[in-house]
Amino acid sequence: MSQRPAWMSGALTVARRELLAAFDSSVAYVYTLAFAWLSSSIFMNEFFLAGHAELTAYFERLPLLFCVFLPAITMRSWAEEKKTRTNEWLLTFPLRASAVVFGKFLGSFGLFGLFLLAGLPLVVMVYSLGEPDGGRLLTGFLGSALAGALLLSLGLFCSAQSADQIVAFVLTAVAGFFLVLTGDDRVVAVLDGLSPRLGLGSLLRDHLALTPRFDPFVAGRIELGALLYFVLGSAGLLALNARQVEADRD
Amino acid sequence: MIQLEAVTKLYAGVPAVEEVSFEVRPGEVVGFLGPNGAGKSTILKILSTWIRPTSGRARVAGFDVSADPLAVREVLGYLPEHNPLYEGMRVDELLVFAARAHGLAAGRTRERLDWAVSSLSLQDVVKKRVSQCSKGYRQRIGLAAALIHDPKVILLDEPTHGLDPLQVVAFRQFVHGLAPGRAILFSSHVLAEVAAICERLLLLHHGRLIAAARTAELAAEAAGQGSDLERVVLSLVEARGGRELALRGGSREARR
Repeated sequence: MSQRPAWMSGALTVARRELLAAFDSSVAYVYTLAFAWLSSSIFMNEFFLAGHAELTAYFERLPLLFCVFLPAITMRSWAEEKKTRTNEWLLTFPLRASAVVFGKFLGSFGLFGLFLLAGLPLVVMVYSLGEPDGGRLLTGFLGSALAGALLLSLGLFCSAQSADQIVAFVLTAVAGFFLVLTGDDRVVAVLDGLSPRLGLGSLLRDHLALTPRFDPFVAGRIELGALLYFVLGSAGLLALNARQVEADRD
Repeated sequence: MIQLEAVTKLYAGVPAVEEVSFEVRPGEVVGFLGPNGAGKSTILKILSTWIRPTSGRARVAGFDVSADPLAVREVLGYLPEHNPLYEGMRVDELLVFAARAHGLAAGRTRERLDWAVSSLSLQDVVKKRVSQCSKGYRQRIGLAAALIHDPKVILLDEPTHGLDPLQVVAFRQFVHGLAPGRAILFSSHVLAEVAAICERLLLLHHGRLIAAARTAELAAEAAGQGSDLERVVLSLVEARGGRELALRGGSREARR
């Protein structure tokens, strides 16, 4: 006879399977190499032009890159399960839907962790060329991890909306770009111009956009509001995902 | 071990299963028989907790499938229709995953993995990916995953689909070996298969349970009439189906 696994133990079992699936195929290697190459090469141009031993330009570009690469990680999470009907198998194990969803999140975050590790050679480089602000580098990575967590949670939620991976990718990418671009001053100005009474651009930037909450981390500050935005946003999306998984049983 | 009381499942207002009631006791192997769309898989999905019934009560080992689904899943081994498996995983990885998801400790997982591999003759494929396995092996892998935690209640949805005759015979013997102390409910649309494995048949038609009979009694009836089992069951289905049509409007008599 079996014994119901503890919540976290169940989540870790699912996470391990997700990671195994990513590394058994070439997905993990291709994504990581492509991300490392693209993020580094974009940064290097600016780095040599600026001549400062810091990674600000690197971190500032990451949210936009995440909008392309993270949907590629999460698009298969639920969509593939639905298409192959393995969700019927997975969701009849004695695991809570929340544990399964969190397991999928941990699995995708594990793969995303490699993306962050791809930035370590740049850290070594700036330390060998000058004296960078270590605290600022740490908060930059923390902010990147939090932004990644939010976009992965969004991706998992979007993946649960369809049995088609492409649809899941497009939904996540569009939603991700929306969160990132609504924090861009030029987009805010355009939206405010289109709706001068409502001030839609400012409204979205102040209450929804990712970038204004990400920027303090890049600048070396950990702001409570920004921290809550990412943590509660990720938790809320994961909770919605679990709720939908349960609702699909009706 | 398995109890259904007036279970109904509606999809967009259309009944897939209507007021079905039956019981399966420990040690019994019971077969669901009916054409495609009769509601066999829907009932198994309800019992597995994959979907919730619209009304009625379904219990597995005393636990209500709607109120306590996690407790139901602990005692349940389920082989879904079409046997969905993670194609990219190695067979041993898949079985270890199933064991861990059922909360088995490392030592017990190894023990049960060895049992599953030897009982279902998976030695030749245990290190292969699921996608590299033949249909027959895939069915056995699905069965191994359903049994890895030594469940007390086993639900098998079309388990012999795609197996060759020799594999079907081996499957029958395996299921008979599992029966003591367990309740096994399995669906098929092949009468000979159900009759060969099950002590009791449940006949479903348009989502309704139209007859329940002991295989031995049906066989005796067939012998008495100088007929065969297939004809006896067919006449039973026709008689109950016809009577049901005549009484359409809600009478439960048609289903008794």
